[in-house]
Amino acid sequence: MTETVLALEDAWLTLAGNAGRVDILKGITLSVGQGESLGLVGPSGSGKSSLLMLMGGLERVSKGRVSALGQDITGLDEDGLAKFRRGRMGVVFQSFHLIPTMTALENVALPMEIAGIKDAFPRAKDELDAVGLGARMQHYPAQLSGGEQQRVALARAAAPRPAILLADEPTGNLDSVNGAAIMELIFGLRDRHGATLVLVTHAPELAERCSRVVRLVDGRIDGAGA
Amino acid sequence: MSLAWRIARAELRGGLRGFWVFLACLALGVAAIAGVGMVRSAIEAGLTDQGAVLLGGDAQVEFTYRFATAEERGFLDQIATKTSEIVDFRSMVVSGDAHVLTQVKAVDDNYPLLGSVQLESGDLATALTSSDTPGAAMDGILADQIGLKLGDSFKLGSQEFTLQGRILREPDTATGGFALAPRTIVKTKDLAQSGLLEPGTLFDSSYRLLLPPNADLAALQTEAEAKFRDSGLRWSDRRKAAPGVARFVDRIGAFLILVGLAGLAVGGVGVAAAVRSYLEVKIATIATLRTLGATGGLIFQTYLIQIAVLTAFGVALGLILGIAVPLALAGPIQSALPFPAQIALYPRPIIEAAFYGITSAFLFALWPLARSEKVRAAALYRGGFSGGWPRARYALAMFALAALLIGGAVLLSGTANLALGTAGGVIAALIVLALAAWGLIRLARRSARLKALRGKVALRAALASIGAPRAETMQVVLALGLGLTVLAAVGQIDSNLRAAISRDLPTRAPAFFFVDIQPDQIDGFRARLAANLAVTKVESAPMLRGIITQINGQDARKVAGEHWVLAGDRGVTYAASQPASTKLTAGTWWPDNYQGPPQISFAAEEAEELGLKLGDKLTLNILGRDITASITSLRIVDFSNAGMGFVLTLDPAAVAGAPHTDIATVYVDSGADPGAEAKILREIATAYPNITAISVKAAIGRVTEALTAIAKATTIAAMATLLTGFVVLIGAAASGERARIYEAAVLKVLGASRARILLSFALRAALMGAAAGVVAIIAGGIAGWAVMRFVMESPYAFEPASALSIVLGGIGATLLASLIFVLRPLASRPAQVLRSQE
Repeated sequence: MTETVLALEDAWLTLAGNAGRVDILKGITLSVGQGESLGLVGPSGSGKSSLLMLMGGLERVSKGRVSALGQDITGLDEDGLAKFRRGRMGVVFQSFHLIPTMTALENVALPMEIAGIKDAFPRAKDELDAVGLGARMQHYPAQLSGGEQQRVALARAAAPRPAILLADEPTGNLDSVNGAAIMELIFGLRDRHGATLVLVTHAPELAERCSRVVRLVDGRIDGAGA
Repeated sequence: MSLAWRIARAELRGGLRGFWVFLACLALGVAAIAGVGMVRSAIEAGLTDQGAVLLGGDAQVEFTYRFATAEERGFLDQIATKTSEIVDFRSMVVSGDAHVLTQVKAVDDNYPLLGSVQLESGDLATALTSSDTPGAAMDGILADQIGLKLGDSFKLGSQEFTLQGRILREPDTATGGFALAPRTIVKTKDLAQSGLLEPGTLFDSSYRLLLPPNADLAALQTEAEAKFRDSGLRWSDRRKAAPGVARFVDRIGAFLILVGLAGLAVGGVGVAAAVRSYLEVKIATIATLRTLGATGGLIFQTYLIQIAVLTAFGVALGLILGIAVPLALAGPIQSALPFPAQIALYPRPIIEAAFYGITSAFLFALWPLARSEKVRAAALYRGGFSGGWPRARYALAMFALAALLIGGAVLLSGTANLALGTAGGVIAALIVLALAAWGLIRLARRSARLKALRGKVALRAALASIGAPRAETMQVVLALGLGLTVLAAVGQIDSNLRAAISRDLPTRAPAFFFVDIQPDQIDGFRARLAANLAVTKVESAPMLRGIITQINGQDARKVAGEHWVLAGDRGVTYAASQPASTKLTAGTWWPDNYQGPPQISFAAEEAEELGLKLGDKLTLNILGRDITASITSLRIVDFSNAGMGFVLTLDPAAVAGAPHTDIATVYVDSGADPGAEAKILREIATAYPNITAISVKAAIGRVTEALTAIAKATTIAAMATLLTGFVVLIGAAASGERARIYEAAVLKVLGASRARILLSFALRAALMGAAAGVVAIIAGGIAGWAVMRFVMESPYAFEPASALSIVLGGIGATLLASLIFVLRPLASRPAQVLRSQE
C-alpha cells in the first residue's frame, strides 16, 4: 500500500440554504494514496465538487475529519488552510478562475510568489511554455480564449510542483479538441511530477484514465471503490 | 405610449437599486446649491425688508469730518418728520492703566429712529442717562477686555463716563461697514468737554430721517444733491439701505454656488460611472433587444428615459434637502448672521439648483448612454461593449449641454469672470486628473511587472488591480481628485492670505497709527516718542479728508468708473517740499513757498489705473469746500507695508487755514520688551487723551477674524464637494465589491492569508488616494497661485502643511471607502464564491 496523502473520515458537509440546512456530503470516508489518480464521478448535485473542495481545504467539514499529506487539516481556520495549500496543492476549476487584473504570466507566478519561491517568474515562464502559451504571457485573461485560459490555470496549478493536483471538471467549459488537449496536459503533468491527482468529471472516458474511480450519489459514496 | 417608454418602465420596475450613487451624487450637489441660494435669498429679502431699520431711518445724509451746516440741517428738518444726528469716530477707552480702541457712536435723544438697541439688560435711554457723570453703553466684549463692570467709570478723551449698559445688537448696522474696534454709545452732548470733536479731528456725521409715508425718495435725493452739490453730502435711503452688505452677500453667495457647481462636477463623475455600470449590467438585455430587432435609437431612447426619470427623482430629493435644511435651521442661521435673514421658500434658488442639477446630470450621463447604442447582438455570447466613440451628434449634444451649464452659471451668478474662471478651472482640473489617472494606470501596469517587486505579492496585486483594463482607477482619481483640488485651492489661498497678513506685514509695518493729533500737540508728541528707546522711527503728516468729485470738470465716477480712490473720502496731506523718501516718476514738485494755483502730487500707480496724467485737474471737496488743483507730479506710494501712504498730496497754500490734525506712524524695535508697546500707548494716552491709537496688531487680528469667517464658509462648501467625492468613492468601492470577493477567493485558493489580501486591498486604495491627493495639490496649487497672483495681487508661496493634509486626507478617504467593502471579500469562503461563478 502506498502512503496516504488524502484521507477523509466520516466527513459531513452541511450548508445553510434558502430552504433550510442541506446535507451536501453525508459521512464520506475515503483515502487517496501517493501518486494515485482518482476520478470522482456521479450525477449533478451528487457532491463531487464539494468533496474536492473539502480535500483542498476550500470548504471545511461540518463533522468528521480531513487530513492531507499526513496533517490533520480539520481544525485549521481560513488562513491556516490557505497557508497549508501553499506549494502543496494545485487546483484547476471548470471556470478557470484567473485573476482578471493580472496577465497570464503574473497569474502563473502568483502562487509561487505567495509561497515565497524566489524564481517564481522564470518558473512561471517555463510552465507557460510547457502548456504552449509562451507567446501569450503578457495577455490578460479577457484577451485569451477559453482553452488558453484553462491552460494558464493548469500552469498556475502545476507551477509550484504541488504534491496534490485537484481538478474540478477542467474540460467542462471547453470544446472536445481543447478538452482533450487539457486532459493530455493534466495527465502529462501528473506523470512528470508524480503528483496525486483527484479529478471531478462527467466524462466516462476521462474517468477511465484514472487509476481508481469513486462514484457519488446524493452525497454518499456509491458501492465499492472507496 | 411609445415602445421606448414601455421598455423603460419595465426596466425600472426592478426599483432604484444600484442607483443610490447616481441619486446621492445628484441630490448632494443640488442640495448644496439650493441651500446656499436659499440663505442668499433670505439675506437679500431681509436686507430689503429691513432696509429702513438697517439704515436707521427712511433716508440718511452723511458728511465726513464735519457736521451739517445750519442751511443743510434746516433742509433736512424741513423734509423729514423726525431727524436724528449720529457722530461716528474712533477713540480710546481709558480705565486705569488700560487703553483700548473703540468705535464711538455719539447719538441724540431721537436715536434710534427705528428699531431698538438691544442691551444685555435694560434699555439704551436709561443707560445713557447722566447722574454724576454721563452714562454710556459698551459692547460686552470691550467691557470684558478692559475689565469694566456696570457702574464702573472710564474716560473717552478727557470726559469721564459711567458704564450703564452692555450692547448685544444695534439695529442700524448697514452703514457700519468693517469696524476695527468694538462699539461704545454715548450722547453727543456729553462729549462737549471731551476734546474729541475739535476742528480737524476725524469723524463722520450722519443724519437719519423719518420721511412722510408718501415721500418720493428719488425726488428728495435729487433735490438734496442739487441743492448741496459739491458739499460732500452723501445720500442713501431704504431703497438700497446696505449696498455694501448686499454686494458682499451677493459675491459670497455667487462664489459658494460656484464651489457647489464644482461639487456637482464631482457628482457628475459618479453619475457617469453609475450609468456606465448600470448599462454594463444591462448588456444582456440590450443584446437581446438587438437580437429582437431593436435599433440603436430605440435603445438609446429607452435608457435616456430611465435616466430622465432618475434625474427628476435625484433633483427632487436634492431640492427637498436644500429647502428643508435652511428651514429647519432657520433659528441658528439667523442668529449666526450679522444681518437680517428671512428664511422662507424662494423660487429663484430652487429653479437655479434644479437647472444646474438637470443639465449636469444629462451632461455626464450622455457619454455612457450614447455607448448603449453600440451594443451588438453578439454581446450575448461575447459580452462587453464594442469599442469606438459615440456618434458625433452625441458629442455635439454634450458640447451644447456644457455651454448651457456654463452660460447659465455666468447669467445666474452675475459674476461672469468668476463663473468662467470656475468652469475653466473645473474643466482643466478634470483634464489634468484624467491624464493623471491614465498615467497612474500605465505606471501601475508597468510597475506590477518590475523585477524588483517580484515576491511582494500584496503590492504587486494592488498595482495590477490599479493598472488593469476597466479598473475603477479613473473614476476614483477624478472624483476624489476634483474634491481634493477644491479643498487644496481653498487651503492654499487661505494659508497664503494669512501668511501675507500675519507674517509678512508686521515685520515691516508700524506698531501704531496715531490719529487726531492736534497741530499744537505734534511737537510734544514727537519729543516724547524720541525719548523712548524702543521707538525706532516716527513718521507724521498733516491730514485732512476729502472726496474727489470731478476730473477735468466732469463727474469723477463717470470719467474713471468705480475705482476705490473715488469711493468715499480719502486722506489728503500737504507738504511744502518733497519729502526725502518720496520718489517722483513724472513731473516736478512745487517750489518752496509756492503761492500759485493749487497743485497735486498724485500716486503714480493709481493715476495710471484712473487714466490720469500730468496737467489733469481734480476737484476735491474738503470740509464742504471745493478745491480744484492740477496734477503736477506723480510719485511712488507703497501701500503694502501698512505705512503712511497718501494718494493725494497738495501744496500747503491750497489748504491754508483748513482745520486739520496730524497722523503719525510709530515703529517699534522688533527686539524690544513685549511690554514696550503697551508702555508707549499708556504714555501717549495719559499725556494726550484726545489722541487715538490704532494698534496694527489688533487691526490685523480683526482682519484675520473676518478672513477666518469667509474661509470657514468656503471650507464648508468645499467639504460638500468632498462629501460628494466620498459618495463616488463609496460607489466605486461598492461596485468593485464583487470583483474583490472573487479576487480574494482566488488568492485564498492560491494560499494567500487574509492579512495579505487585506494589505493588498489597502495598498491599492492608498495608492489611488495618494495619486488623487498629489494631483489635487498640483492643481489646487496652480489655482491658488492664480488667485493670489491675479485676484489678490499678492505673492504666492506653496504651503506644505495644508498640502500634506490633503494627500493624507485623500489616502484616508479612499482607505475608509474601500475598507468598508473588504469585510465580505475577506469573510467569504472561496468554495462558495468560486462555485457561484461556475
